[in-house]
Amino acid sequence: MSRIIVVTSGKGGVGKTTVTANLGMVLARLGSSVVLVDADFGLRNLDLLLGLENRVVYTAIEVISGECRLEQALVKDKRQPGLALLPATQNRRAETINPNHMKQLITALAQMYEYVIIDCPAGIEMGFKNAIAAAQEALIVTTPEISAVRDADRVIGLLEANSIKKVNLIVNRLRPAMVQANDMMSVEDVQEILAIPLIGIIPDDERVIVSTNRGEPLVLSETSSLPAMAIANIARRLKGEQVDFINLAPGNDSFLSRIRKLLWSKIG
Amino acid sequence: MNSDSAPPLPQGKVEENPPLENRPPQVELKTEQGNLLLILPTEAEASAQINWQIICEQLKNRLQGNDRFWQSQMSVHLVAQDRLLDGRQLKAIADTLANAQLQLQRVCTSRRQTAVAAATAGYSVEQQIVLSSLIVPEATPDSRLKEPLYLETTVRSGAEIHHPGTVVILGDVNPGGIVVAGGDILVWGRLRGVAHAGSEGNLECRIMTLQMQPTQLRIADYVARAPEKPPSQFYPELAYVTTEGIRIARATDFSKTHLLSNS
Repeated sequence: MSRIIVVTSGKGGVGKTTVTANLGMVLARLGSSVVLVDADFGLRNLDLLLGLENRVVYTAIEVISGECRLEQALVKDKRQPGLALLPATQNRRAETINPNHMKQLITALAQMYEYVIIDCPAGIEMGFKNAIAAAQEALIVTTPEISAVRDADRVIGLLEANSIKKVNLIVNRLRPAMVQANDMMSVEDVQEILAIPLIGIIPDDERVIVSTNRGEPLVLSETSSLPAMAIANIARRLKGEQVDFINLAPGNDSFLSRIRKLLWSKIG
Repeated sequence: MNSDSAPPLPQGKVEENPPLENRPPQVELKTEQGNLLLILPTEAEASAQINWQIICEQLKNRLQGNDRFWQSQMSVHLVAQDRLLDGRQLKAIADTLANAQLQLQRVCTSRRQTAVAAATAGYSVEQQIVLSSLIVPEATPDSRLKEPLYLETTVRSGAEIHHPGTVVILGDVNPGGIVVAGGDILVWGRLRGVAHAGSEGNLECRIMTLQMQPTQLRIADYVARAPEKPPSQFYPELAYVTTEGIRIARATDFSKTHLLSNS
């Protein structure tokens, strides 16, 4: 049974695409077959982050209009054989895509892959509706800022209205030092408002920007980094049985304290 | 607490009458003789401003909010009033109800096309004759006497709940969420959004919550903002109107000083 997961946030620039790319890479490394769907029609980014831009020939719109077969549009990742990308369209024809098209497309992909991960565009307009049309579960990405949390709250409401009940939270770009100094919302503050289960906390790191610009997801780099570890943990929790979610909170606490310790040791 | 940048006002300071927003009509759910009535707003109440999608979204939210109270496979009578529904829309309503373990059985409508569509889809149809001049909605003297709305839900950012009677919410009202009630508002949870009690002008209405951290409180024509600095400790509190504007009291104190002395 394949899982169709939409990665969404409401607000732009909180790291949906980065999370999608890295999560897909880890899931593939853990042995699952994964397809990433770039639903940000008109503004594609996912292929850049994966470093697959120069291998895109066909996009989703050609599949929908019947100009090519689905298999032709899928870009297979050379580094991770289990990973494929369905790129988004950049031209104006993208406006003709509706939720029914997306449902057909995603259903077809779900026959072929264990995980279908959809990178949702920012906003709650047509692009959002397309992206969530076929999704069974959702990952909400938010940063610890009130505007991002407010938008995430709105999006959770819309997902609930669309009968997507399994919604998990990823808090991205957390800066534990700032939280400790009371200058940033803590994960608890975010959770208090959103009231959905937490599946991961990703600390802020400059290396994420470097890896984005190189088109090489951070989880692939030789030296391990905290964000890469955090994303790998999210992937394991996603794969894990329901049991894993129950033990989540203490696990995350110790994870946070690990970050804190690391930061303190650097300062000290 | 709030992202309000205006200079701090003393708690409960009165401002000029706020422009009362055009109340978007709501989908209503009522139980009557073992059946559930689903009442759609009339076209007059909601012509251009409320479209099909909003109705659908409201219906889904409503069903989510109190599914605990209905037996499964309860039959639903759709009161479509003068709203034009085609077969596709009827099916969408039936599917949404089926998701909540409810069955659409009967459609009451005053529109011929809707009746035909409902009959084609196999529902029992009741055609009503419009007596527009005769059905003047009776003005209820006290909006608090209208049937209360009980919702078990989190009112999230962007969601608006409007109801002519009292609203009871078991859950939080998040920042960005709005509750407007003709009667009282009772939030069994945190109130962090906007609450407007007595929206039809009733000054007697109150807003009660376990944790009072609102973006804004409105009772009838009065508006108040929460203090800039949130209190360090929260108690169940209650907002009411005095001659000086909206005041907040601890729920335990209020029952002693106001409720007992009035009786």
